[in-house]
Amino acid sequence: MKRLQRCAIMLSLVEALFQRKSWCGETHIQKSTYFLQELLRVPLGFDFILYKHGPFSFDLSDELMAMRADNMIQLKSRPPYGPSIVPGENGDRLKELFTKTIQKYKERVGFVAKELGVYGVAELERIATALYVSLNDSTPAKDAIEERASCINKLKPHISVHEARRSLESRWEISNRAVKLVQTT
Amino acid sequence: MAKKDEHEIRDPIHVFVRLDTDERRVLDSRELQRLRHIHQLALTYLVYPGATHRRFEHSLGVMELATRVFDVITAPPIHEKIRDIIPNKNKRNYWRRVLRMAALCHDLGHLPFSHAAETELLPEGWDHERLTKEIIRSDEMKSQTWEQLEVPVKIEDIVKVALGPKGTKELIFNEWETILSEIITGDTFGVDRMDYLLRDSLHAGVAYGKFDHYRLIDTLRILPKGGGEDDSDEPTLGLDYGGVQSAEALLWARYFMFSQVYCHSVRRIYDIHLKDFLQKWLENGKFSTETKDHLEMTDIDVLAALREANSDTKHPGHIHAKRIIGRDHFKLLYSRNPNDQNINPNAAVAIYEAACKEYGPDFVRSDEYRQKGESQYFPVISKDGRVLQSVELSDTLFKVPVVKSDFVFIDRKLRPKALNWLNEKREEIIKPQKETEE
Repeated sequence: MKRLQRCAIMLSLVEALFQRKSWCGETHIQKSTYFLQELLRVPLGFDFILYKHGPFSFDLSDELMAMRADNMIQLKSRPPYGPSIVPGENGDRLKELFTKTIQKYKERVGFVAKELGVYGVAELERIATALYVSLNDSTPAKDAIEERASCINKLKPHISVHEARRSLESRWEISNRAVKLVQTT
Repeated sequence: MAKKDEHEIRDPIHVFVRLDTDERRVLDSRELQRLRHIHQLALTYLVYPGATHRRFEHSLGVMELATRVFDVITAPPIHEKIRDIIPNKNKRNYWRRVLRMAALCHDLGHLPFSHAAETELLPEGWDHERLTKEIIRSDEMKSQTWEQLEVPVKIEDIVKVALGPKGTKELIFNEWETILSEIITGDTFGVDRMDYLLRDSLHAGVAYGKFDHYRLIDTLRILPKGGGEDDSDEPTLGLDYGGVQSAEALLWARYFMFSQVYCHSVRRIYDIHLKDFLQKWLENGKFSTETKDHLEMTDIDVLAALREANSDTKHPGHIHAKRIIGRDHFKLLYSRNPNDQNINPNAAVAIYEAACKEYGPDFVRSDEYRQKGESQYFPVISKDGRVLQSVELSDTLFKVPVVKSDFVFIDRKLRPKALNWLNEKREEIIKPQKETEE
């Protein structure tokens, strides 16, 4: 996928998250993109590692910066809290230029926004870490919840085993719905 | 005055940098000494003549600042949600040593002239971070340096702290290791950046890079990242409220140094000419990734080759060497502007491709830079003990522009003609192409 096509998808994700009343800070976009790429199979080509708030991509962070530089997205102050990421002055133009690409992945982007748009950063961290740990463990998910919950707690001690278990269950439900969507689109 | 077993080195930024005998052993290693011959700012000295400083003194500066940060953030007051991640005194002393040695070693893998074009000049999958990792883990460094230390340190701990999660994607970091690596490599308060801004500013003779690093470091804290909409307890480097203005100054310093020095158009074209030369001069157009070869290759070798190629008209890199040594660099044909960007986000690429078609690819070059990493967001502890987001407290942080540059350069002999051509054809050239499926 070419860079501008990828930017167009990221822009459509920002808009979809907003429609779902997400705060849409960088963490929301990082975790949603992780789901979009790894679960919904949108070939964005970002390299994720387990880092800040769970799966994190330095490439994506750089890309968001570059999109700001190109006025495709911008920061919007939302007092009394931190800023959200919103479409920038050149956002509409980018969408005009890449209507086919946006249309192709519209349902998958919409799915991620619907599933994750409601969560705050702490919950996103838990659920995205649950996905990361699950994808990197070949044991069938249903048999591995306890082991994975302790693994999450070990990696991120501020996430309790109980919270980790709950997030693994949510992740399992989202994954099942995602598989159906990927098979039909 | 230095105590027994303490060594002092004068430094233009930090006045004295002090080392113990084990650290001195690391500094005296062949791997570290090589950095005496790697310019920190590549060929920037052809534009800013004072900018001839090397990675060696920068590495010492990073060690000095990293230590100051470590001592501040592990001393009271420590946030109640963070106490558990700070190790006990013995372990703290160990990690302080690891941090200092990691700081010394963090740049070992830099190519000659700190060349940024690693994608073109190294085989696929390699960059200076991977080279740094290989050198720290090499048999030579293991036997000649690490195994000679009086107080041993684990090599893998040094690798982790020197390079951070970005440079060692295959490793898993715990929260403490993440914080330690953030001290060196962090996007916001990493001391690598602090030292290079101060040092590059001094040597280039520009004031833009200065900021109150004493105050900034004194106010650093490990804090839960929460605040605002961010309700996570993940620990990260943040600030006491009193340091916000120093952080503003740091981020503006970075912006000005990038826009005025690092992205100076003439500096950028010299880098491109150097890359062109290296591709002709090196075997298969790439640097070797063998540690032995890497350690033997410095700016001195490249400069000697450049001078030789400049005088030898038959040398495959002659034309590129001449452009550098003879100051016959290409000149600016186009730089990005908002109007063109609005019509076509890839306007500079379109102009570069059209110019190549019109004048031939040998006479046209392009350059693109976009700021990397996020930097304005960090937690701040307020006077009443609440953790807030930096941008809630500072309008200025919110307004620091993102650094970007797009340049198209052309052979100076063709420039007058090319400028007229571009004036006439600009609209047609930047008209966007139809969307294609990938």
